[in-house]
Amino acid sequence: MGGVSRTTDCVGLPPPPSSPTRGGVLHAATIAGAPLSEATASQRLFANKFIARPEFGPLVLLVVELVVFWSINHDFLSPGNIGNTLAFTVELGLIALAMTLLMTSGEFDLSVGSVFGFSPVLMWTLMNSGGVPMELALLVCLGVAGAIGYFNGWFVTKLKIPSFLVTLGMLLVVRGTALFITDGFPQRTWSAGGHWLAQVLVGDFYIGGLRIYMSLFWFAIAVAVLGYLLTQTKVGNWIQASGGNPLAARARGVNVNRTKTGLFMLSSMLAAFAGVISSIRTSAANPNSGTGYELEVIAMVVIGGTALTGGRGTIFGTVLGIFILRVMRNGIVLIGVPGLAYNIFIGAIILGMMALHSWLERRHQAGT
Amino acid sequence: MSQPVRQPLIQMSHIYKSYGRVQALEDVSLTVNTHEIVGLLGDNGAGKSTLIKVLSGAVPHTSGDIFMRGQKVQIHSTTDAIALGIETIYQDSALVTQLSIARNLFLGREPMIGPRWMNRMDRKMMDRVAGELLKRVGIGKNIPPTTPIGSLSGGERQAVAIARAMHFDSDLIILDEPTNNLGVAETQGVLRFVRGARDSGHSCIFIAHNIHHVFQVVDRIVVMRRGRVVADDIDPKKTTVEAVEHVITGME
Repeated sequence: MGGVSRTTDCVGLPPPPSSPTRGGVLHAATIAGAPLSEATASQRLFANKFIARPEFGPLVLLVVELVVFWSINHDFLSPGNIGNTLAFTVELGLIALAMTLLMTSGEFDLSVGSVFGFSPVLMWTLMNSGGVPMELALLVCLGVAGAIGYFNGWFVTKLKIPSFLVTLGMLLVVRGTALFITDGFPQRTWSAGGHWLAQVLVGDFYIGGLRIYMSLFWFAIAVAVLGYLLTQTKVGNWIQASGGNPLAARARGVNVNRTKTGLFMLSSMLAAFAGVISSIRTSAANPNSGTGYELEVIAMVVIGGTALTGGRGTIFGTVLGIFILRVMRNGIVLIGVPGLAYNIFIGAIILGMMALHSWLERRHQAGT
Repeated sequence: MSQPVRQPLIQMSHIYKSYGRVQALEDVSLTVNTHEIVGLLGDNGAGKSTLIKVLSGAVPHTSGDIFMRGQKVQIHSTTDAIALGIETIYQDSALVTQLSIARNLFLGREPMIGPRWMNRMDRKMMDRVAGELLKRVGIGKNIPPTTPIGSLSGGERQAVAIARAMHFDSDLIILDEPTNNLGVAETQGVLRFVRGARDSGHSCIFIAHNIHHVFQVVDRIVVMRRGRVVADDIDPKKTTVEAVEHVITGME
């Protein structure tokens, strides 16, 4: 993850100025006395810039969570628990990564949860009753998800309807379709067994006592690719500009509509991919699965420091946000807090983080 | 660049523009030659801004023609205007506040490096060029090109917008009140930049309320009053600020 954090410098703040010959300054300070304040000032500046980064708050919170949960219950960091937590975290995380780019471009997608439930249902229905091979079924369901995303994008960019309304409508259409084609019953999935594709997608193996699913690698690849895309590429520049000031971006020749539509497609397709992975791992394709995921995913993204209004986004922050929420869900159960109280903590975290981000934003604007 | 007869760069002829019943522009003709800075003066509501918006593609004109280097052109949007080499710098410059200076400068025309499928921007080059441009525009303070626009002052943003127009070799740079809200040093920087722009082959239309600023840089002054051009060949070297003020207000 270190590589990703290093490449996000342009999203947040400029990199701290390299302090030349700090040793020299300190040496002079011991003689003259006066430049000492200068040296500490430059160190304070460095610290300030580090603290002002949008990822700083989430990073501290995650570390605090880990330390608190571990100190109350040492099993928290046992290989068994880590493996269990990771398995589902990365599936939800895939959706959150795509949502980060979409939200940076100024839109969001409420239909990801229903696509997460619908895609595996579609895939297993094709395989079970259509006799379609798994490879083809997967391609079909990614294609359908892409079409759903394209539709969202078309409504938002061409008809100028807010993404909230468009994707809310799409949520109901997709969820309704999933329930309709299955009559509300889960689909059989155990035939996947030893299929090579199932192994590639979500096969598991042990490192010591730690059970690792292949999905962790897919997640890591998505982090690297999307982090690179957002910070290093022309597309990334367009994504940020589309969210920050769409009129200015358009005037410079940026194709705002195509950028946003592409991101809607990406978000739907990654949600479908995550749904398929999850269905193979749990051996269940339930038409109701994924309900409410859209809000949890959006919460992960904003906790990480991506602006809900667009223009600024951070993949590294989202990775932190993903783990903050999932570790919290796992940890409070382990330390004996009733699971039903989970939402209280999540809500408090969201409110606290939003307050922190807005405070940092204002201080940063006023300070320079 | 060695044509003996100076062909006008831009020729707007018999432009009319009405907003409902209000006639904003009435039979306006304006010519800008190559290597020329034209000062456009007029009181509030004289039609300066409307004329500029027509030329920059922000509003459509009702009738009349626009020629560029003798060729008739259609300008339907700001993108059309930019493609033709007409860059407009408004008071609130069209910049993305969340993006860095360098990223704004190259937005839409990012330099690429490496294989094409990697879609990678040449950020080193962007930062270097942005840094050099910032020095040329005379942003005195040491601002790194990775600074987001949101933390710049109004004058600094203005300078970034001008730097962008300069770098991409726009033939015509339209500056709408570029010295508003600027400090003394920043104003001098902008004026110096406009002169530099002419010397390197650009033409400018310079709109400002401050006639003294106009007198310092322009080659020719055009005055508008109530939607019409009332004078279009005032030489600032052969007249006085007071005389031009009389033309603007219409009082002899």
